[in-house]
Amino acid sequence: MSEPPFLELDGILKQFPGVVANDHVDLRVKRGEIHGLLGENGAGKSTLMKILYGLYTQDSGTIYLDGERLELASPQDAIDAGIGMVHQHFQLIPRLSVAKNVVLGEREPASAFRVDGTSGGLLPESVRSNSIVQSLAQLFSLGLDVPKRRIQQLADQYGFDIDPDAKVWELGVGQQQRVEILKALYRDVDLLILDEPTAVLTPTEAEQLFDSLERLAAEGLSVIFITHKLTEVESVVDRVTILRDGENAGTAAVSDVSKADLAEMMVGREVLFDIERDGAERGEPVLELRNVGAESDRGIEALSGIDLTVREGEVVGVAGVSGNGQKELAEVTAGIRDVTAGSIRIGGSDLAGATPKEFVEKGISFVPEDRLRYGCAAELPILHNAVMKEFTDTRFGGKASLNYDELTAYAETLVEEFDVRGVDSVAETKAGDLSGGNLQKLILAREISRDPDLLIANQPTRGVDVGAIEFIREALLEQRQNGTGTLLISENLDEIMDLSDRILVIYEGEFVHETTPEAADRDRIGLEMNGGGAGNDTDDRPKRGSSRSPTPVATEHGAKRR
Amino acid sequence: MNATVDVTAREETPPWLEYAAPIFTVLAALGVGALVLLVIDVNPIEAYSLMLVETPTSRQGQTDILITAVPLVLAGLAVYLPLKAGLFNIGAEGQLVFGALAGTWVGLNASLPGYALVPLMFLAAAGAGGLLAAIPAWLRAKWDINEIITSLLLSFIALELLSYAVRGPMKGATGNFPQTAQFSEAATLPTLYGRVHVGLAVALVLVVLTYVLMTQTRLGFEINFVGSNDEAAVQAGMSKYKLYLFVFVLGGAFAGIGGIGEIAGVQGRLRASFEPGYGFTAIPIALLGRGSAIKVLFAGLFFALLFTGGTTMEVFLGIPAALVDVIQALIILFLITGEFFKQYRVGLRFKRETPSTTANATRGDD
Repeated sequence: MSEPPFLELDGILKQFPGVVANDHVDLRVKRGEIHGLLGENGAGKSTLMKILYGLYTQDSGTIYLDGERLELASPQDAIDAGIGMVHQHFQLIPRLSVAKNVVLGEREPASAFRVDGTSGGLLPESVRSNSIVQSLAQLFSLGLDVPKRRIQQLADQYGFDIDPDAKVWELGVGQQQRVEILKALYRDVDLLILDEPTAVLTPTEAEQLFDSLERLAAEGLSVIFITHKLTEVESVVDRVTILRDGENAGTAAVSDVSKADLAEMMVGREVLFDIERDGAERGEPVLELRNVGAESDRGIEALSGIDLTVREGEVVGVAGVSGNGQKELAEVTAGIRDVTAGSIRIGGSDLAGATPKEFVEKGISFVPEDRLRYGCAAELPILHNAVMKEFTDTRFGGKASLNYDELTAYAETLVEEFDVRGVDSVAETKAGDLSGGNLQKLILAREISRDPDLLIANQPTRGVDVGAIEFIREALLEQRQNGTGTLLISENLDEIMDLSDRILVIYEGEFVHETTPEAADRDRIGLEMNGGGAGNDTDDRPKRGSSRSPTPVATEHGAKRR
Repeated sequence: MNATVDVTAREETPPWLEYAAPIFTVLAALGVGALVLLVIDVNPIEAYSLMLVETPTSRQGQTDILITAVPLVLAGLAVYLPLKAGLFNIGAEGQLVFGALAGTWVGLNASLPGYALVPLMFLAAAGAGGLLAAIPAWLRAKWDINEIITSLLLSFIALELLSYAVRGPMKGATGNFPQTAQFSEAATLPTLYGRVHVGLAVALVLVVLTYVLMTQTRLGFEINFVGSNDEAAVQAGMSKYKLYLFVFVLGGAFAGIGGIGEIAGVQGRLRASFEPGYGFTAIPIALLGRGSAIKVLFAGLFFALLFTGGTTMEVFLGIPAALVDVIQALIILFLITGEFFKQYRVGLRFKRETPSTTANATRGDD
């Protein structure tokens, strides 16, 4: 390293009550490189980046950017220093146009107040240049003409296909992310931090993002790319720094290390990329869908003619590209979406048209795809969220009363058993303050500890780190051993292959293919997922009893500790 | 000199600010109000000590505060309960008036002894208030119709019904005023001490009940949950329909009780002019007290102090009623603005620069 680093974090220490989030972390980023920041949820990646973005102040340690020492008291300071950040949850206002979102906080005053030559000359010079008038105009007036030209120019320069006048709500997720990046570029940043940018993107959108990042890096911009997906590190990152338990576990050029090395550095032990499934006895059907149809939120037919049986101790995996009816299938089965046709037999009785409460009482557990929207009340403490389905149980009080001490004890047990981290006190810490992986563990803890007959898991490992993925998959398999029937819906084909006893492929609201992990042909499944199959066939009927062997297919995640 | 206004969001509200903000905002409101008083040549110190010191320390003032607090606290609860479930009941005024109307009808028409008549009047008032509140709740739960608009509009319907009733079917026999007959002895609320009627005891009991409901029961748990995330609540098996109806009906019943308490305990008859504004004042009360039912009680008492103290100022210092309203409104406005300062850091920065650099900077910008 002959060239001095562009960004240098030196011995950053940040402590929160009871936790050391960053323990003397060093990080060096070169100019024009895409630097990966890899680590499990709770490893301290976000804290470190929040310090760099001025949201937190470090307890000790120094930050140098381009040789200059930075004191960052707020994001504004960071932006002024040339650091931009794209958060995982977009900070956009859907009702406003792209241009308005981009200039937010960085407005040009309306032309009448402008001091430079572009002013309309409505106000006399002396009034315009008065400092109070200036600062009020900066706060309360808005000129969009100049910014729009610049946004268009930036978008053209980096190949973003974005109309500055479009409303943000009209844009897809990938485009919204580009607006976020534009926001940073508009502020002339030299360093761009992306917090798990692909968590919300489809694979194609992710590819486009990678292209854009490479273009930005080629222009001399440095990028810090926070992720916990090893494949992404391999495909886009130049060098990578791994954080583990708040400490720097090493920095390496990606070309020099293997995926297994990275995973080991990240988790701190060897991670095996295959999974062992023991055969479980399959018993009575716990779920039978017959000819089920349903509509999406927009009233368009989303499911039609769905036949599905899940037996005790069986994991049925539903593979497919997002938006082909998976959400509706999960919701219909969990009882929160009405069917337009067909029957849902659970434990022998038809529950079509029943209330969600009856589904819950029939022993159905549901891990929804959108954790924050359906899975928890983010503003309420862990306590409320941990007991959200069990609080009516007699052990927590009488017919109407609730014993909060009992509830607290129960919530604490769940947090401990499922290793939910980042909890100060179950009665104080809000669910929304947990990281994605830990929130998912909490939700899974809640759903599994009810000892359900049927568990519906929609995208259970999306957006969670390798360690939590391993934990969640093990928990699912353990439930299978206990005789729970599981309906696993996932876009991750490896996950489906690893965990399922039977695989169904969904396309445009219909099952188009059925197979088993042993007999599965990945190319065929890929084709069927995209509607390229021969149509509705079930030639590859499951061959029972042969599920003891591990899957022959090389898998990507799916860690199982021996 | 260079001045800039900075507004930055706070990460966390410092604990001291939690308490300092309301105190300073009230002081600031009084400061602005003082200007108003100076303009009409009233000594602000005299006026404020009358309003905020003498009123709550005199027996007369205390009595008036407690009496005024009854409908304010009850209407406050009527807004607070739906607020916890994530709904806005803007129609407490109508529920209060509707309750007063039903209670008055019972009080005038049922010939029973006091110990039976008064509870019956309360029941009728609670039922009427709850019934009126059930409409927006049902529309919201069933058809997702915005409860803010429906509850507000129903208030006007209730007020017009009152206006019709006291001019028509319920008009008193004596004189030609738009009002009902005077309540009989039996229909008048018994007093606790002085002029303070049993409505105060009822209000206190209901505050405690609401507190217990929200902190000790399943229903309270469900209300909190549905208020935080209704979609997760439905997924967990809770019934939005049931909860929305419950909070609105219970709230409406509380407001109705507040209405009949005011009529049977203070006014003695229902007049067309009974349009107290308590139901609308209940909205800031519930917003300030949204932490718990006990906080609603204190917010209600504070507003009662403002109203009573305002009337005292009006009477003793001859301050026009409109200006008293201005001062009250300033305090409420500033209190609510105080919430903004809890969330944002606002700074006015002055930078002194040498004249030459300022001139250069300006010229450079040209």
